[in-house]
Amino acid sequence: MRAALAIAWKDLRIELRSKEMLSAMFLFSLLMVLAFRFGFEGSVDAGDVALSDLGASSLWICFSFAAIVGMHTSFAKEKDRETLEGLLLCPVDRSSIFLGKVLSNMVLVFLVDLLSILFFSLFFAYDFEGNAIAVVGIAFLGTLSLVLVGTLVAAISVNARAREVLLPVLLIPLIAFSVIIPSVSATRKAIAGDISEAVGEIQSILGFAVIFGAVGYLTFDYVLEG
Amino acid sequence: MEKSKLGRIILVGAAILMLLTTYLAVIYVPLPQTSVKSADKILSSVEGSRIRVAGFVSEVYAKDTNIITGSYLFRFSIADFSDYQRYIAAAAGDQLDSQWWTVRPIDVVLRNPPGTFLLSVGGTWDSAGTGTNLSVLAVVVGSGIGPNSNITGFHLRTYSQEDITVGASPGQFGIMTAPVAQKIFYFHMPSAWVSYLAFFVTLVASALYLRTRDIKYDRWAFSSAELGVLFSTIAITTGPVWAKQEWGVYWRWDDTKLVTTFVLWLVYIGYLMLRASMTDTGTRARVGAVYGILGFVTVPMSLLSSRVAPLLQSSHPQVIASSSGSLSPEAGMTIGIAIIAFTLLFITMLIRRVEIAESEEELEELKRTIGGED
Repeated sequence: MRAALAIAWKDLRIELRSKEMLSAMFLFSLLMVLAFRFGFEGSVDAGDVALSDLGASSLWICFSFAAIVGMHTSFAKEKDRETLEGLLLCPVDRSSIFLGKVLSNMVLVFLVDLLSILFFSLFFAYDFEGNAIAVVGIAFLGTLSLVLVGTLVAAISVNARAREVLLPVLLIPLIAFSVIIPSVSATRKAIAGDISEAVGEIQSILGFAVIFGAVGYLTFDYVLEG
Repeated sequence: MEKSKLGRIILVGAAILMLLTTYLAVIYVPLPQTSVKSADKILSSVEGSRIRVAGFVSEVYAKDTNIITGSYLFRFSIADFSDYQRYIAAAAGDQLDSQWWTVRPIDVVLRNPPGTFLLSVGGTWDSAGTGTNLSVLAVVVGSGIGPNSNITGFHLRTYSQEDITVGASPGQFGIMTAPVAQKIFYFHMPSAWVSYLAFFVTLVASALYLRTRDIKYDRWAFSSAELGVLFSTIAITTGPVWAKQEWGVYWRWDDTKLVTTFVLWLVYIGYLMLRASMTDTGTRARVGAVYGILGFVTVPMSLLSSRVAPLLQSSHPQVIASSSGSLSPEAGMTIGIAIIAFTLLFITMLIRRVEIAESEEELEELKRTIGGED
């Protein structure tokens, strides 16, 4: 666990110095929310679309794509700068590397989640009122599951050619049913103020988080080899 | 020698059984009972404590037919239905009093053979009365409209929401509205089964590869995944052909089974893409194996979704151990033979595919030797 924390802290410190990924993800989610604002201009003004629907779906599109951008970079950068070998030479378990990467990705992606929620509230002049905590909570849970599976898939795809394209191709089908659909549904309920009805969704997200975490923890050894 | 002989036996067996399946499915199996019998089946389950209501609670139909629009469709209550003849005699689209009882000829809705009809029962219940609002649309399939209707003993009575099982389509309760289209089932369901089997083989072979590092297992994993994609493509394309007839639409996004299967298909296409984008054999096998294991998470989701349906509902018919409408003996036999035929077909194809993979590797090896560079 200490090794994992050290690796996560290393990643975050690099990020704090360069702010490369965070700024990219930040701009990405900003533009995404903006695109939704423009895209739904007419229907939002006319009140044709329920903001809880639009909010839940657009937020999760932001979250997942920002996460993909972030998680891709976390391994691609190591590969390109040839620091991945150094990381692998560390006298620690490969599983610790996995956990470390999950932690650092989680921090970054969750920050972007918070920003996206803020942007949404700003651009759509939407007041989350007391539901903000529930929305953030769901975002946290969903992102946890997303990052657990995403980190593994990012490590898988970093070996391939055309890895930028491959990561979403490999990841989105996996998360579609396990993370995105329940999260969107739970977020919709959270925005509407009845989070207590989203128990099934939360169970589903947590269940898949456990499955993905276990698979990642157990198979990460094999992914980063040689 | 022994091995190739066994392979040939399986091949011949698969071919014969495929022909037999085709014969049985097309000629032998009688068309499934539609109308009254099935309706009775529902109604018999009505007697007792729980009432089953098959309802077209789907916007798709509303959009498709334009008969019902507006959200009030989803606000229905079931009241005393003993006076059914009155409702059956009512003309299509009639609205009676404060409640809406409508009889819609099914051919309008689903372009089905005239004569069968879909009786939808519904109405808004003035919530001021009891404060209860039931969101149900009841559907009963029968033959013929009028006093001589074959529906008998139709009696639906409920006062609380707990008494009602809501279905997304009559198919969920074993009612078929398009009997001929049902024949595609004998090819659809075995293909789906084989694709699950193939992905399971991929899972096992992937795990074995990681354990033993024998490239042989990688060939099995990859070949099996490729065949799995082929068979799930068959399943995913034959399904809509039936669905168009039965449900009136090719695809329903509100159906868990369909969506999870689609996702499963995408996952394994991703697996094939991943394999294609890597050149180093060792890395490809290793990384592919991990994704092969990870991707299998979607298989139980798809396989079980028409039973457990955790978040969304599914109107995809269940086949095995279904609580409602089981298959007739003829159909049961045909589907059994079809499953064996498809499984044998899969085994032969898998053996051949692995052989091809071996030859390909050998060819690469030869090229490298002749080229003199490594």
